[in-house]
Amino acid sequence: MADSKRINKEDIGRLLDEWSKEFSVSVPSRENGMPAVLPWDGKDTSFLEWYRNTVIPPKANFFPPYEKMFDFQKEAEGYHLELPPSDKQKYLIFGIRPCDARALTMLDTVFQDTYQDPYYLSRRANTVLVGLGCTNPYDSCFCTSLGIGPGESTDVDLMFTDTGDGFFIEPVSDKGRELLAATGGVEDTLEADEARAKDVKKAAYRKIIRRVDTGDIQQRLAACFENQDYWEKVAAKCVSCGICTFLCPTCYCFDINDELSQDEGTRFRSWDSCSFPIYTRMPMENPRQEKWRRVRQKVCHKYWFYPTNLDITACTGCGRCIRLCPVNWDITQTLNNLPASS
Amino acid sequence: MTTDVSQRFLARDNVYLPHIAVIEKIIDETPGVVTLHFNFKDEKLREEFTFKPGQFGEYSVFGIGEATFCISSSPTRRDHLEFAVQRVGKVTNALHRLDVGAEMGFRGPYGNGFPLDSFTGKNLVFVAGGIGLAPLRSLIWNVIDDRDKYEKIDIVYGARSPADLCFKYDLDAWGNDSSINMVTTVDKGDASWTGREGFVPQVLEQAAPSARNAVAIVCGPPIMIRFTFPVLEKLGFTPEQMFTTLEKRMKCGIGKCGRCNIGNLYVCRDGPVFSFAQIKGFISSEY
Amino acid sequence: MEQRLRSEVKALLKQGKIDRVIGFEPGSLKFTTTPLITSDGDDVDRLVINPFIVNNLSVYLTGTSGRVGIVAKGCDSRSIVSLIQDNKVLRENVVIIGIPCSGVIDLTKVERLAGKDRDELDDIVHQGDKITVTVDGKKKEFPASEALFDNCLGCEFPTPREYDILLDEPVTPTPDKAISEQKLDSLREMPQEQRWQFWKEEFSRCIRCYACRNVCPACFCERCFVEESEPQWVLPVPRWQDNLIFQVIRSIHVAGRCTDCGECERACPVNIPLRSLTREMDNLVEELFHYKVGIDKEAPPLFIAYELEEAEDLIR
Repeated sequence: MADSKRINKEDIGRLLDEWSKEFSVSVPSRENGMPAVLPWDGKDTSFLEWYRNTVIPPKANFFPPYEKMFDFQKEAEGYHLELPPSDKQKYLIFGIRPCDARALTMLDTVFQDTYQDPYYLSRRANTVLVGLGCTNPYDSCFCTSLGIGPGESTDVDLMFTDTGDGFFIEPVSDKGRELLAATGGVEDTLEADEARAKDVKKAAYRKIIRRVDTGDIQQRLAACFENQDYWEKVAAKCVSCGICTFLCPTCYCFDINDELSQDEGTRFRSWDSCSFPIYTRMPMENPRQEKWRRVRQKVCHKYWFYPTNLDITACTGCGRCIRLCPVNWDITQTLNNLPASS
Repeated sequence: MTTDVSQRFLARDNVYLPHIAVIEKIIDETPGVVTLHFNFKDEKLREEFTFKPGQFGEYSVFGIGEATFCISSSPTRRDHLEFAVQRVGKVTNALHRLDVGAEMGFRGPYGNGFPLDSFTGKNLVFVAGGIGLAPLRSLIWNVIDDRDKYEKIDIVYGARSPADLCFKYDLDAWGNDSSINMVTTVDKGDASWTGREGFVPQVLEQAAPSARNAVAIVCGPPIMIRFTFPVLEKLGFTPEQMFTTLEKRMKCGIGKCGRCNIGNLYVCRDGPVFSFAQIKGFISSEY
Repeated sequence: MEQRLRSEVKALLKQGKIDRVIGFEPGSLKFTTTPLITSDGDDVDRLVINPFIVNNLSVYLTGTSGRVGIVAKGCDSRSIVSLIQDNKVLRENVVIIGIPCSGVIDLTKVERLAGKDRDELDDIVHQGDKITVTVDGKKKEFPASEALFDNCLGCEFPTPREYDILLDEPVTPTPDKAISEQKLDSLREMPQEQRWQFWKEEFSRCIRCYACRNVCPACFCERCFVEESEPQWVLPVPRWQDNLIFQVIRSIHVAGRCTDCGECERACPVNIPLRSLTREMDNLVEELFHYKVGIDKEAPPLFIAYELEEAEDLIR
C-alpha cells in the first residue's frame, strides 16, 4: 500500500504523546484486573504485552452505562429544560479490535435510523478509531463466522497490525489518511513489511477455533420460533442477568428514568437488558414473563429481526457473552443446535 | 415507517427533549381514567402541530417519568389536544394528580397512524373495549368530520361495567348520529343499567356487520383483541381488512431503546397501528 | 465420584424418583463447567465432577416444580437447607446428591500465578494441597491455598450435612480463616475514610447487571426491591451511590441466608470484591445471633423467627 507506514513498538509511547496534543487518547488498561478502554495516563504502554480484549466494550465510550439527557428546573414562569453542554473535545481510541469496530458501525445504523440520537452521534463524530488487529484471539472468539476477521477492519480510521518488532499502519478512512499524513515519527514501509503484516493477519484468522453456521440462520430461527420445548431447554440454565447484553458491543437497549429533588432534577438514560424479567412488563401483563421467551428474543433479535430490518447481523463474534456468562451459556451452541423444524 | 411530519417538531434538535405543554381541562371518565386537554406553551408550535389519528406521544411529568399515550382527539379539531390516562403506576398516578394549569412535557407525534387513505369509500367497523376507545375516538371524529369520504359506520363498544364506560359524551353523540350504528354493551350491568349486557366479541358477533367492502379497527385489552379477531374472521374479514393498535411497554418512542418489538416490528415505529396480516405470525407468541 | 453420580442419577430417573436432575457438565470453554438441567436419561453421562464445578445450583430450585435431583457441594447443600427453611422448596421434592468438596479452583488466581489466561493453559490439576498448572508443556506447582477460592479456604462445612446420597467419604474441614479473610482484614485495617473511598471506586465500575443477585440462591424474591417504582427505592441508573446502596441493601437482605458460596464475587464481570461485604455480613450474623446458615432445616429462618426470650446483647 502506497500510504502505509510503520513504527517500532518502543516508539508507541511517543506516538500516543503526539496524538495527545490534539486528542484525548484512550488505551486498553487493566485496573482491578478488568481490561477496559480508559484515558491514557501518558506513560503506560504495557498493554501492548497483555492486551487481548476488554471486558466492557468500546460502545461504552459512545453510549455509556448512564448519561444525563437533560436537566429540568421548575421556575416561576414554568419548566426550564437544559441540555448538557456539548462536548467539543476530540477523542482517539487506540487499540479497538475489529469485532468492536464493526459493532460501532452497526450501532451507527440504530442511532441514525429515522431519528438522530444526538448523544451517541456527536461522540462518534468527535472520535478517531485506531484499530489493532488481533494476534491472540480467545477460545471464545468467533468473528470469522460473521463475515469479519481478527486482522482486518473497514470500520476504523487507522489499522495497526502487530508484526512483532513493530506495527504496520494502514489508513482505512479519509479521517485516518489525514491523521496519518500529519503524524510524525512514522517510517515508510517496505514490501517485506506488507508481506509480514499479511502473514500475521492470516495467522490470526486461523487461530479462531469457534464457528457458528450462519447459513440460512434466519430461516432456521423462523422455523423453530414456536418450539417452546427447544427454547425452554436452551434457557434452562440462564439466570436472566444482564452480563451478555451489557458486555455485548452491539446491544443498545436503554431505559429512561427521571430523578427529582424538590423542584429540579435530571432525566437519565441507562443500559437496559431484554434478559431482565421486567423489561417488557406492563401494568396488566408481561409478554415475556417466562425466561424462555426472553432468551428466544435475544437470540432472534440478533440473528433474525435486526438483520431483517437493517441487513446486518447484530453480533460480531467477540465472544464476551460466552467468556463472562456466570453459567457459561453459549450462543454458538444454541445456534449450531437449532432443530431442523419445530 | 414513521412519517416525516414528526421530524419537524423537534425541540432544539434533540429527539429526546420534550416540548412544554399546559393542562387546560380535566375530565373524569371513570374512577380510574381521566382525559386531559392540553396545549403547547409555544404559540408557533400550537399553530403548526398536526398529527394522524392513531399516532401517540410520550408525555412527561418531569421528575417522575414519561409514559406513552395515543392522542385521543382528532387532527380535524385542533384548538386543543387530548389524551386519556388510566391510573396504573408511577407516571399515570402523577398525571392524575396534575391540576389545570400544570405543565407537562410532550414528545411526538410518533408512530404510523391509521392508513386513512385506504379507508376511503369503505364501510368502517370500530370495535373497542374500555380505554381502548381512546385511539379509535381520534379516528372516529376524523371520519365524522370528513363524512362523505366513508360509507357505513358501525361502532361496538363495551366496558366491564357502566362505571367503566369511557367517553360517555361521545357515546351519546354517536348514538344520536343517524349515519352511525352505535352498539354499547357492558360485561355486567348495575341496578340502573338499561342497555345491553355481554362481552364485546359476542355482541359483535350478534351485530354481525358485513365484511364486504369493509375494514375493522379493533382496540382494547389483549384478551378482548384475542377473542375479537376470530369473530371477525368468521364474519368474513380477511387479515388485511382487520386493524388494531397495539400497546407495549415503551420508553423512547422512536425505535431506539429496543423494548417494544414484536418480532422485527417495533410498535413505536412500524406501529402502533398494524393490520392483522402483519402481526399474525407473532401474535400467539407475544400476546 | 463421577461414575457413582451417573449411575445413581440414571437409577433415580428410571425409577421415577426424580423428574429431572440439576448437575454439572463440561463447559464450552477450557476448565469450565456449566449447569446441566435435564430429564433425559441419555444426557446423564454428561454429568461431571471436577475442581471447576463453581456454580451454586440451588439457585435453580426456587420456583421449580416436581421432584429434582440436585448435585450439591457443602456450601450448596447449606443453601438448599436455607431454602427449605424459607419454604421455597420442600425437602421431599429434592434428592440431594452430596459431594464432599476439597475446594474449587479460582481461575482468576491461577491466571495470575501462571501469568497466562485460562485459554492459554494446557492443564490444571488439583491433588491434595497442591495445584499443578501446565503451561506450554512445562509444569508448575503451587500450594492449593493460592489457587482455591477464598471462601473455600475458610470453609467449615465442606461435606454436605443434609443429603440423600453422599458420593464419597466425608472431607475433614481445614478452615483457615486468616487466609480466607485476607481481603476483609486489609479492609478492616483501613481508616473509615479510606475504606469509603475504596468502595466508592469499586462501585463506580458496577454496571448493574445483577449477576450477583441472580446467581445467588438467597435472592429468591419474585420482585426485587430495585424493581419497585412506587416508591422508587433506588434508581436503575448505575451511579456509584445507587450501586453501593443496592449492594449494601442486598447484603443485608441475604444476611442469615448467605452460605458464603462466593458466586456473587465470581460472577461479577467488573471484579468488585462483593464477598468482602457478604462474608462480613455472615460474620456479624454469627457473632450477634450465634447462627450458622443452613445447618438445621427444622429451624425457622433467622430474621423471621421471634421469641419472647431473645438475646438482647445485640442492642448496644
